This record gives sequence, C-alpha cells and structure tokens, in this order.
Amino acid sequence: MSPEILKELKDKGLIGDDQFIKLETIVTRKAFSVFYELRTLLYLGVMLFTTGVGFLIYQNIGELGHILAIITLSALSIACFVYVFMKALPFTTGKALTPNPYFDYVLLLGCLLFVSVFGYLEFQFGFLENNAQITSLIVSVLFAFCAYRFDHLGVLSLAITSLASFFGIVVTFNDLSSFEHIYNVGLLFSVFLGGIAIFLERRKIKEHFTFTYLNFSALIFFLSSLGGLFENHHNYWPYLISVYAGVAAGIYLANWKKSFMFLLYSVIAGYIATTFALADNTRWDVEPWLLYMIFSCGGFIYFIVKYRNYFKRIE
Amino acid sequence: MIAYNPTWLKNLRIVKSAKQWQHSNLIEKDQFVEISKQYESKFYHPNFVIRILLFMAAVIVLGAITGLLILAVMDSGEETLSILSIFYGIISMVILDQAFIKKNNHYKSGITEALLYHSLLFITVGFIDFFEDTPEPYAVLGIVLFSFTAYRYLDLISTAGSILSFALLIFLLLFRMGGIAQQIIPIIIIILFTPLYFLFRNLGTQKRTELWNDCLIVGEGLSLLLVYAAGNYMVVRELSIEMLNLELVEGQDIPLAWLFYALTLIIPFLYLYFGIKNKNLVLIRVSLIVIAFSAFTFKYYFSTGHHEITFTISGIILLIVSISLLRWLKIPRKGYTRENILSEKWANSNAQAFIVSQTLGVGTKPTEQHSYGGGESGGGGTSSSF
Repeated sequence: MSPEILKELKDKGLIGDDQFIKLETIVTRKAFSVFYELRTLLYLGVMLFTTGVGFLIYQNIGELGHILAIITLSALSIACFVYVFMKALPFTTGKALTPNPYFDYVLLLGCLLFVSVFGYLEFQFGFLENNAQITSLIVSVLFAFCAYRFDHLGVLSLAITSLASFFGIVVTFNDLSSFEHIYNVGLLFSVFLGGIAIFLERRKIKEHFTFTYLNFSALIFFLSSLGGLFENHHNYWPYLISVYAGVAAGIYLANWKKSFMFLLYSVIAGYIATTFALADNTRWDVEPWLLYMIFSCGGFIYFIVKYRNYFKRIE
Repeated sequence: MIAYNPTWLKNLRIVKSAKQWQHSNLIEKDQFVEISKQYESKFYHPNFVIRILLFMAAVIVLGAITGLLILAVMDSGEETLSILSIFYGIISMVILDQAFIKKNNHYKSGITEALLYHSLLFITVGFIDFFEDTPEPYAVLGIVLFSFTAYRYLDLISTAGSILSFALLIFLLLFRMGGIAQQIIPIIIIILFTPLYFLFRNLGTQKRTELWNDCLIVGEGLSLLLVYAAGNYMVVRELSIEMLNLELVEGQDIPLAWLFYALTLIIPFLYLYFGIKNKNLVLIRVSLIVIAFSAFTFKYYFSTGHHEITFTISGIILLIVSISLLRWLKIPRKGYTRENILSEKWANSNAQAFIVSQTLGVGTKPTEQHSYGGGESGGGGTSSSF
C-alpha cells in the first residue's frame, strides 16, 4: 500500500480525514510495530529456559547443588503464579484482556517450570509411583484452571494434552503394541472433548476456546478412526462408519464455525478411508486406480470451484 | 508479460489492506464493503486452507494423468521421452495460462501452483537427456525458468528458486576453476549479492514494480541470508572440508579464519542496526534469525559440552532482553511501538492511543508513562521527525 493510493482512497471519499491521518502514519511507517518480533523473542526465551532447566535437573540428580536448584525453580514457579494472580484482571466469561504484554508469558513460564519441578519430585520420591496417570490429571486440572482464570490458549492446549495422557492416549516409540486399543479410547476421548466444547459454548463460557477444543477433538477422532480402520483388516466397518460420521460432523463444524480447518481434516480422512475400503473390495489394475484418482480429485476440485461462494469466509 | 490482469492485482492488494484495517477497527465495515466494491477484482483467489486442499487434489489428478500418459508412451526411445517430457511441461503451462488464468480467472488458487510446479518439473526432467553429467546447465536452466515464472506468475517459490540457482551457478563456476578461485567463493558471493540486495530494495520502492512487491521482499531476505551465509565461519569451514577436501590437522584453521569469525559476529548486528535505524522489517527479521545462527556457530566451535547450560543461559538472556524492550517501548519511541497496530487481537485502545499520539505529537503521551522512568528520549512522538 503506497501513500498515493491512500490519498486516492481519501479523495474518493472512501475513508475520512481522521482515518487518513491514522492510516498514513502506518503506511509511511511513522508508526512501526515490533509486536510479533518481541513476542517471538519472549516465547523463545521461555522455551529455551524451561528446556535447559528441565535437562539440568535430570542430569544432576542426587547432587547437593541439585536440591538448591529445585528449591530455586520452585520459588521461581511460585513467583510466576503469585505475579499473575496479583496482576490479573477480574475473571470474565468472555475474552479477557491481559494487563501487560508479558503477562501471558509469565504464566506460561510458571506452568512449564511447575511441570519440570513436579515431574522431578515424582521421579525422585515416587509418591505417585503406581499412579502415573494421577500426575497427568493433577497437571491437567491445574492448567485448565489457569487457562480459564487467565484466559490463555497455550495453557489450555497443555491441559488438554495432559488430560489425553490421563486417559492413556500416549504412544511411545518403545512400545508400539500399546497402540492396539488406543484408538477406541481416542474415539471416546475426542467425543468427550467435543462434548465439553459444545457444552461450554452453549453456556457462553469462553467461546473463543471452542476452536482449540474442537481442533484437538477432530484430530484425535480422525487419527483414532483411521488407526482402527488400518488395524482391523477383517472387521473395519465400524471404523469406516465412524470416519464418515466424523466427516459429516466436520463439514457441519466447518460451516458453523466458518473454519475450513475442519473441512480440510474431514476431506483428507474421508478420502483415505474411502480409498482404503475400495482397495479392500476391488481387484483393480493400475489404470482403474489412476482413473479413480483423476475423477475423485477432479470432481472434488470442480465441486469446490463451482460452489466457491459457499467456501468464502464471512467478513 | 504478466499473466494476470494488472488492474485486478492492484485492486486485490488494496482490498487486502482494507480488510486488515477493518479487522484492526481502523475503518468501518461499510467502508470496507464500499472499497471492495470500487476496487473490484474478479480473481478466484480462495483462502489458505482451500488453497491447500485444491493444491493437494490437483497434485493427485496431475500425478494420475501423468501415470496414464507414461503407460501410453513407455516403450518409446530415450530421446523421444525427453522431448515428450518437455512438450508435456510446456502444454501444462499453456493450460495453466489459457484455461485457468485467462478463462477462469484463477489467481494463486492452489491449482495454479500445482500446475506451475508440475510444468517446471517436466521441463527440467526433459533436459536430463541433453545435458551432460555436469550440474551447471541445470543452474542456468533454473535461473531462466524460475525467473520467467516468478515474473509472469508472481510466484514466490520461483523467485527463491531463481536466486538460489544463480548462487549455485556462481559457486559451481568458481569451484570448477579451482585453486585461488575456490578460496574466494565466499567473498565473490558477498560482493555479488550485496548490490543485488540493494537492487531488490530499490526496485521495491518504485511504482512500476509494485505488483512484484512480495517477490522483491523474498529477494531481499534471501540476498541478506546468502551474504550472511557466505561470511559465516561455520558454513565456510564445513563447506571447505566437504567440497574442497580441505584437511585440517589439530590446531590448524581455515584460511582467513579471522575474517570469517569477524563477519559471523559483525553482519548480524549490522543488519539489526540498519533494520532498526531504517524501520526495515526484512532486515530486523533476518537479523534475528542470523543472530541465533551466529550464537550457534560460536557455541559449536567453542563448546564446553553443556548444552543444557547454554539453553538455560540463552533463555534467560532472551527473556531479559525482550522484557526490557517491552518495558522500554511502553512509551512509543522514535515511532516504535510494542502494540500490534494492524490486528484486532491485542488491546486495541492502546494501539489507537499510540497512533493518535504519533499524529498529534507533543502532549499526548500514553497514560501509563508514570510507571516507567523514561529518560530524555521518552514521550511518544515528541521527536522532531514527526
């Protein structure tokens, strides 16, 4: 956008004089925002620091200075929480403003340090040894509380991930056999998560969180369904139906939330599932498959382009 | 000639800016609607997610069509196949041009990208049979093809491709000459790409190149990165060992090591200094990336082996630097602000207050000023340049 065009907009009466003055300071870079740069630096700082500290703790377990480090980190984590509690604006069910630009990052730092310290304490003293899942639940509840109290999407995501591991949805590379029945749990969990999202949305509590919930829910749902589809060669029909149910829900969500992310997930999952089922039920040679690819994807392109107005964001 | 309707392109840029202003509450919704009516463009230019979907679908369709064609011509001789491949690539580009862009007004729709890269791929593959086993002709072909598509289709990946092909060609030519020429590769790259950077930046400010603005920004950023990389100690050292078979015994260092150490240290801060001085976002962002890479370089060669300590300390430094900058910019200084001017997301009243303070000058400092003891440079917009 050049200043001349801005002038043209003003001359045509499309923008007012006072708006022109404001916009001109932006266009001519008299007012120059380093919002994203500073935010990225802060985020990197938090990430590097907590990662480094996390390693430090585990590498020097049992040494004397170690106890001191734990105490320092606990103190730091508590300090972060005290700070956010003192600075926070009153709770609101809508979108809350933050009191200053680093508030969000102080909260994130406090939460990540808490995970490091808490994880260490559990490892060292083993007080929850037989119930590792309880740890995840405690972390999840605490984070969910913080996310709602201080309106923080990143902490909400951490809470959801912890909740997922409470339900046992953790796949480790050492133990791939654990994948066996995870997809069933995953299906239930994603429906549960979607339920929470819609319940809270209806109650008008933090409606801007709905997308994060639904995003996790959709991803886990499709991955679980496809997992079930691939794992059960002989009896995959329930999972095929669940993929299609997910596709229907996804298209509905895409329309409702005007977010095409859900459309993207649905189309990809639906296409993979359909192709899988076709491959299982036909004995096609190369040519029919190529034709299938051309007509299915070509048809999809035609559909999207033809109904282009339907796929536009509402401004 | 450019493939798209220039008026529509200009209008699309205006409407995109206006949309951003509306999201930032700088103009009213009615005004945005009016602007998009007056500056109409008939392009089919869907949003990003739809573009990704269309791109993927188009890649599958094109792959399948190619598969069918390969089945048909599989038994032809090698030379015929090469010519067919080039022909197929050219046909694809013609279809892109006539059927999608001209007839259906597609503009960066996902399908256009898929067809473009598809076409470039098959043209290049077709030349394999004509080139010997030397890489230089490919670099030349890359420069020619990518420059053409970058110019005609305003494609950013092609822009990057043509610049990188050029850098590759220079490298290959000097490498082949051997001897002293190999030693001065970094210096030649710096000498060539520094003026190129200024050329891109200069072109970016001119009215006649306004449609290519995004391509030129890619050019600027990439030239800066190449100049930095050519001066970076780690890049030079590792490439010397890898490509020039340089063998370093214990205690030995690459030729002109002091120079590369100095450049590794100085260039990032030069970028940052001029970026801040001229309010140049490309310079500032590139400088942040290369500062991180310089830190990594020095860490790599002078490591104490304790990565966790490096992580922790660099984290602390970043936190201190960014928090102090944020506190310092609580009051806008020299036009810099920590507020997000062009977005609705963050504390809009502050952004408004800031812009007002910038336009009205003296006496309208933001109210939080008392909480930070600003020095003589404090006070939003009071400096003489406003």
